[in-house]
Amino acid sequence: MTNTHPLIQVKNLDLHFGAFHALKNVSVDFHAGELIGLVGDNGAGKTTLIRVLCGIYAPSSGEVFFDGKKIEKFHPKLAIDQGIETIQQSVGLCDNLSIARNFYLGREPVKRILGIPFLDFAKMREKSTRVIRQFGLRDNVSADDEVERLSGGERQSVKIGRAVEFMNRVVIMDEPTNHLSVREREHVNELAVQLKEQGLLVIYITHDIFQVHKLADRVVIMENGAKVADASTDAMTAEELEEVIRQGGRLVEKREAV
Amino acid sequence: MTLSIAKPLIRRHAEIGIFLIGAILVVIFASTSDGKWANLYNIGTILQVTATLGLMSLGVALVIGTGEIDISVGSTFGMGALAYLWLAAHVDPSLAAVAAVAVGAAIGLINGLLVTRTGTPSLIITLGTLMIFRGIAIALTEGFSFSVPYAARKGWAYFGLGGGEFLGFNTALYWLIIVLVILMVMLKAMPFGNRLLAVGGSAESAHSRGVRVSRIKLSAFVLCGVLAAFAGTLEAGKLGFADGSMGRLMELQAIASCVLGGCLLAGGRVSLIGALMGAFVLSSIQSYLVVTGVRPQWFILILGLIVVIAAYGDRSLRQWALRK
Repeated sequence: MTNTHPLIQVKNLDLHFGAFHALKNVSVDFHAGELIGLVGDNGAGKTTLIRVLCGIYAPSSGEVFFDGKKIEKFHPKLAIDQGIETIQQSVGLCDNLSIARNFYLGREPVKRILGIPFLDFAKMREKSTRVIRQFGLRDNVSADDEVERLSGGERQSVKIGRAVEFMNRVVIMDEPTNHLSVREREHVNELAVQLKEQGLLVIYITHDIFQVHKLADRVVIMENGAKVADASTDAMTAEELEEVIRQGGRLVEKREAV
Repeated sequence: MTLSIAKPLIRRHAEIGIFLIGAILVVIFASTSDGKWANLYNIGTILQVTATLGLMSLGVALVIGTGEIDISVGSTFGMGALAYLWLAAHVDPSLAAVAAVAVGAAIGLINGLLVTRTGTPSLIITLGTLMIFRGIAIALTEGFSFSVPYAARKGWAYFGLGGGEFLGFNTALYWLIIVLVILMVMLKAMPFGNRLLAVGGSAESAHSRGVRVSRIKLSAFVLCGVLAAFAGTLEAGKLGFADGSMGRLMELQAIASCVLGGCLLAGGRVSLIGALMGAFVLSSIQSYLVVTGVRPQWFILILGLIVVIAAYGDRSLRQWALRK
């Protein structure tokens, strides 16, 4: 809510997968410099919504505006080029490739010889090594190792490190602290706040209500593919927030009626 | 155990198995064929066969690398050979070769578009195109064969395109080496290769990182068609004639070469040099059976048995290497 116009504006978004109505008339604004918690039960449509924002799914109807411009075509390449970086839960790393190769997948740095693009291995290695050291991967893991070798937490760290390294405008984190140790968790949460303070929009999906209440400026609650609440974290306590999620939209309607 | 030193090496290099198998077979073949197998002329023949099968296998390896498969290459090979022979009788062989390769590219494009646009498994699509283009090849030749008149079998271009020898080896072998080097650089040192392997490793993850998965798969199919047709061109150049059955069943040998060579059928892992070694092993086995006078009707049976044993041996070796 720092800027007047939202960085991402979602208007009346619907998404059908065959007969399944995955997103129902979702409208929500996201502003730069905001840390937004996206919460709701499993199957509420959180991941589906962010997969539209990062270009993996195209909506059936409705509109998405980025920085005031309507998005006409949905593809992860276009989203990444615009500065929307996403830390996905189950996808994002190819096990068969090295950390360095994964790090730069889709935007490999090249050195041109006679106009032919060759991978700039030195740069790929140097930058990704720095990031994996910073994110505390085991000392015997090198940037040339295949991702296959990494633990769940290390994989998550690589994804987060990658998202942070390329200076973006939006960082979407889908349950970023899964598989992480307590210390790693803290580090990720600190990072999320840092990114916000640098003026980025951070969208944070989690099941941890108390954590998100502490971190986020605003919480968007989803249920069954629809947005049921959108409120500042100052406006309610963590317990109230939990109650809203448990009861779905009903409590909010009651509160508004009062 | 001292042997366990080799474990990490075998883990990292899936093609080691086929090199061991190749070495063992070479020793066996050389020592049991009374000099009929291990002589310069015969080795030259094996290498010529390896060159054409190998070019086809390299293309198939790229497609397998993306997690798809192309079994239409035998027919593409035949179409390339026919296109080359038909044109080489009229125009310069180099132009005829370009046209033949274009035919291969078109077949690859059809395969690739059908697979990526319809989402149908590539196994079934390319099974269909295997039959379609075999049918066209047979229809085109109507039981006769295409050939280049002896008078036209001359000139640099004709010799350079499989129709002659250089330093004792058929020129096809040099094409194979050139293509191998180019593809290895492409696969390991260029963004295209990085994305191709990513698509095979996890198409979903590659897509989420902005890789245009369909475009990568399409490119692999086109390259595969180009290489199969070019292999057909070189084979046609060597023989000087071809009929509608040219390249029949070669698709199976090409796939076997790739798998024996350490390419993972599920995608994401490709060994080009391994695929070539696989092609060399298959050509060697064929040649061995020929020079030792095994009756042709036993040929496919014995080839199949050796392939199964080699595949099992390779798998056992890799499992051993993966054990801690």
